[in-house]
Amino acid sequence: MDWGILGYDDHKLDVKELELKYNTSATKGLSEAEASERLLRDGPNALRPPRGTPGCVRFGRQLAGGLQCLMWVAAAICLIAYGVQQGQGDRGSSDNLYLAVALIAVVVVTGCFGYYQEFKSTNIIASFRNLVPQQATVVRAGQVLQVNAAELVVGDLVEIKGGDRVPADIRVLAAQGCKVDNSSLTGESEPQTRSPECTHDSHLETRNIAFFSTMCLEGTATGLVISTGERTVIGRIASLASGVENEKTPIAVEIEHFVDIIAGLAVLFGGTFFVVAMLIGYPFLRALVFFMAIVVAYVPEGLLATVTVCLSLTAKRLARRNCVVKNLEAVETLGSTSVICSDKTGTLTQNRMAVAHLWFDGRVHAADTTEDLSGEAFDQSSPSWSLLSRVISLCNRAQFKPGQDDVPVAQRDVIGDASESALLKFAEATSGPVAAARGRFPKVAELPFNSTNKFQVSVHDAGSQQLLVLKGAPERVPGRCSGALQAGEERPLDAEWRRSLEGACLDLGGRGERVLGFCARWLPAGTVPAGTPPEHLAQVASGLCFAGLVSLIDPPRATVPQAVRKCRTAGIRVIMVTGDHPVTAKAIAAQVGIISEGSETPEDVAERLHLPLEQVRPSQARARVVTGSELAALAPGALEELLRAHPEMVFARTSPQQKLVIVESCQRLGAIVAVTGDGVNDSPALKKADIGVAMGIAGSDAAKNAADMILLDDNFASIVTGVEQGRLIFDNLKKSIAYTLTKNIPELTPYLIYITASVPLPLGCITILFIELCTDIFPSVSLAYERAESDIMHLRPRNPRRDRLVNEPLAAYSYFQIGAIQSFAGFTDYFVAMAQEGWWPYLVLGLRPRWEDAHEQELQDSYGQQWTFEQRRYQQYTCYTVFFISIEMCQIADVLIRKTRRLSLFQQGLFRNRTLLVAIVFQVCIGCFLCYCPGMPNVFNFMPIRFQWWLVPMPFGLLILVYDEIRKLGVRRHPGSWWDRELYY
Amino acid sequence: MAKETTKPFRQSMAEWRQFIYNPTSGEFLGRTAKSWGLILLFYLVFYGFLAALFTFTLWVMLQTLSNDLPKYRDRISSPGLMISPKPDTALEFHFNKSDSQSYAEYVTTLQNFLESYNDSKQSQNIDCTRGKIFDQSEAAVKKACRFNLSDLGPCSGKEDANFGYSKGTPCVLVKMNRIIGLKPEGEPHIQCNPKEEGMVSINYFPRNGAMDLMYFPYYGKNLHAHYLQPLVAVQLAIAPNATKEEITIECKIHGSPNLKNQDDRDKFLGRVAFEVMMSE
Repeated sequence: MDWGILGYDDHKLDVKELELKYNTSATKGLSEAEASERLLRDGPNALRPPRGTPGCVRFGRQLAGGLQCLMWVAAAICLIAYGVQQGQGDRGSSDNLYLAVALIAVVVVTGCFGYYQEFKSTNIIASFRNLVPQQATVVRAGQVLQVNAAELVVGDLVEIKGGDRVPADIRVLAAQGCKVDNSSLTGESEPQTRSPECTHDSHLETRNIAFFSTMCLEGTATGLVISTGERTVIGRIASLASGVENEKTPIAVEIEHFVDIIAGLAVLFGGTFFVVAMLIGYPFLRALVFFMAIVVAYVPEGLLATVTVCLSLTAKRLARRNCVVKNLEAVETLGSTSVICSDKTGTLTQNRMAVAHLWFDGRVHAADTTEDLSGEAFDQSSPSWSLLSRVISLCNRAQFKPGQDDVPVAQRDVIGDASESALLKFAEATSGPVAAARGRFPKVAELPFNSTNKFQVSVHDAGSQQLLVLKGAPERVPGRCSGALQAGEERPLDAEWRRSLEGACLDLGGRGERVLGFCARWLPAGTVPAGTPPEHLAQVASGLCFAGLVSLIDPPRATVPQAVRKCRTAGIRVIMVTGDHPVTAKAIAAQVGIISEGSETPEDVAERLHLPLEQVRPSQARARVVTGSELAALAPGALEELLRAHPEMVFARTSPQQKLVIVESCQRLGAIVAVTGDGVNDSPALKKADIGVAMGIAGSDAAKNAADMILLDDNFASIVTGVEQGRLIFDNLKKSIAYTLTKNIPELTPYLIYITASVPLPLGCITILFIELCTDIFPSVSLAYERAESDIMHLRPRNPRRDRLVNEPLAAYSYFQIGAIQSFAGFTDYFVAMAQEGWWPYLVLGLRPRWEDAHEQELQDSYGQQWTFEQRRYQQYTCYTVFFISIEMCQIADVLIRKTRRLSLFQQGLFRNRTLLVAIVFQVCIGCFLCYCPGMPNVFNFMPIRFQWWLVPMPFGLLILVYDEIRKLGVRRHPGSWWDRELYY
Repeated sequence: MAKETTKPFRQSMAEWRQFIYNPTSGEFLGRTAKSWGLILLFYLVFYGFLAALFTFTLWVMLQTLSNDLPKYRDRISSPGLMISPKPDTALEFHFNKSDSQSYAEYVTTLQNFLESYNDSKQSQNIDCTRGKIFDQSEAAVKKACRFNLSDLGPCSGKEDANFGYSKGTPCVLVKMNRIIGLKPEGEPHIQCNPKEEGMVSINYFPRNGAMDLMYFPYYGKNLHAHYLQPLVAVQLAIAPNATKEEITIECKIHGSPNLKNQDDRDKFLGRVAFEVMMSE
């Protein structure tokens, strides 16, 4: 990536030149007026969310899908038919116009709906980002102000301090011990010093520029804003990354695949009957209208809306559990995930240092590393502990921020670096208020930690004595000791003790922990007078008494081991990819279960069998730790080999680029890969992944923009929840789609019979639209609330090539079986309603030409009565309504059977899904409203029908229920049988 | 990621051919012969059962229906009106009174229509009490009331075989649709009004265009096989100045509160409109 930005020389300019260039003052800053003028000119100092497709294009796309195009064609045919009828002087028949308008309305309304859903999901992110407006300290006209960081402009004089996020690209003018964390930009995890001097030609390497959105860890600095918003270095990278097109999600591929099939079938059906109608001798225009009607009947108009609603319901459910989904379809992608490439820091671990172990009295004690300090404490009865704890409290420069007495220790804010904070909290939690202890032992002098000494000393007054305390790297500390504490007594150092110390250091270091040694010495009062220069303390600190070792680690989150175990049972492979040290990575991987108990790396095997490493076969080692340098040396294709050979993989010391390579290799092996990340440089990998998961707290904006999903609590366990919900929604979508597809057959058959048997039309197009978009939407959506049938987290992730959303048995069962039963129900009710009103079945067959003749005002029924055209038309509407009610009654049975695919309805619980029951009631209410609301006959072609016509389809509904129970029984009893293969969808 | 790679055309054709018939596994359209056999047998049984159920349900329903009376008359509470003869195109009479060919079709239609009203055909019909509903619900055999063709006066075809078409006084018969059990109230009669005044004068036969109540109710074609609808003949005397003019005439049933004649949508419910244009 080319970050060398032309004309970027601000780091080489001196203060005067800078003042001139930006027309500002390095002491007083800009004036308010100048600042607001520049804000108008340059725009706010914020990353614009990636410029997505413009709204009108996205809306247009909603209107131009496969099904939508078919609907447009249908509407066009209606309009043509209407126009021709008008041209022939056939007034009064505006049905076709009416239908055309309805079809267009349907496309536009569903398009608006889809657009709105999409818009809303992008909005979630926007609102989330605005939740915490970042504040910046700025000097304007000599006044120090707090302003919203978005209002900063070039030339502003800003102050930053430890804990702040750098609010813009800043040329540092003055700094005191300022360190920044550039890891999100460069991947370096070490804090970087910032100072006013130009130290490097590259503006990325030089020390006098602090970058937008990096974190200031400690110290303070004052600087001039040299670029804002999109023009910052981070802004440029982010806009580069957003240029990468998103690949389609598996569910989008599924739905597209299936919509294509539906559209194809609709055209095929329509075309066939167009030809048949022409052959039978219908005029061209009529045949064209038949084609249109068949398309309208066969296309599931409400399906896409249903899918969108189901997905957004799940997205909402996930948002409540701290997963915010940016792209609705990502919900399901998470469900089909088979590999998770997880970052270590902050995702698997707590992203804070904590005391993990102590070593005193020759034994290792485990400290409590839980987030809320609710774990078990170690044995604190030894007298050695009381001295060690005092040393830990005193030899520490960190302190709690004031005013936090009511806050639990674990949550308090601390001023100081990570290790010292950890020790401070540890001391506070184990041996009471540190501040009180420090009050009793006032500090006389201290030597801070530095990288040459690798230790820290302080001297405290303790009444008649002085106490010198020292902590430092374990290889340095014993040299300054003459004795060691054993059960409260000082013993001279011997070889055995040294061996035991070295063993402890190795052991703790092998767990990836950072080890510190602590020692102390009592001095006579006045040995070190107040104001002694720190350098002198190094000489005083000798002949000390060794108190113990303390080891620190960024401990795993408490919920992670269980979550990893869940992933494992769910057939998902968790791979750790981290920039951290391999030893630490391996230790954490082992603790959270990414490397399971008993699994060995090739190195372990070599050690156990005393073999050279090269002789260890890959199959002997389940686990493998690969470092970035090893990865760089691998031949192409070798990484796939490794991934295949070792089920448990840890990648350490990897660069962001390598992260991308790892993701691509997994994808080449056919896996659906989820990637977690937080840095700017993770954004390519997040984009490349099938689903990118960014961290909400630690994540950079670039990562959040590239990701499909954001974990608000940065917790790996939330991903597992997401996987569970994703799998559930896949199952439930299947049910929902099966439900939705079923009714297309009873909608289609009336036309087929109408054309071939010339009966009066049993079901009108408007009525079909009402079924598709009104009554049946709620039940199909309510299936999204269905519980899982079995423990979905015990199944393997679905194979995207084999386990399709809509498979052959699903279509066959819905169309040819349940759909067929529904059709028979509809026709039974139709013939009953016709016969009871005076039109017997054998008269009805072939009646169509005379029935539809608008000049025929005295058509005789089976009893010799004569009907006008208008009376026949209302009878036809009665048939529509009766057929409609039949479909509705059967669809109630249908939604009940769709609750389960395998279990019996009674095992699943008939009344468990309240939403579904409400939806059924609602569906019946809409049905009643449509039937019995006055004015309906002339508006929507619904007639008030007799009560008993509601009952006619009920036996068929019952048949559906019973038949499906039989199907499920067979599927459960005889897995793998012919029945199972043909009828389990 | 299930990445969509565009396959070469030849490969996808080969895949299709493989799908249609796979020689190695003997699969035709993705199934072996045995598999096809099983699935077709399954659907045969399945649809057989459904068809049987459907037939049975309809058979049961038909058993509950009476041959004589429809179960419901929800859609036909009020009868429609119609005329005879009925021109093919939208009730428009066009004829030349001096050209017998131009109205021959109307005349034949009328003659055929009135055939069943001949006295010879009405031998079994009885003379009923005029002005009273002829209720026979108790009777096992329903009698039909005699309709005397002579009531139609000059439009009966007895006096003028051309039904007045040759004289410029064409006859049009107005009849009311048969509806089982319909008992008109009051004194129903047909009244026709031309749209424009002064072009035509109208005579009714029987007098006042009355439809006698004795012809009601109707008992259905099974029980009431010889039933004859009452007719009203409307004779239009077209004024000499109105030849070659389109005259629109609307006939309505009046005088009966339970016969609708003003429905917004149904232009034939209790009324009928037609056009006459006569040339010389």
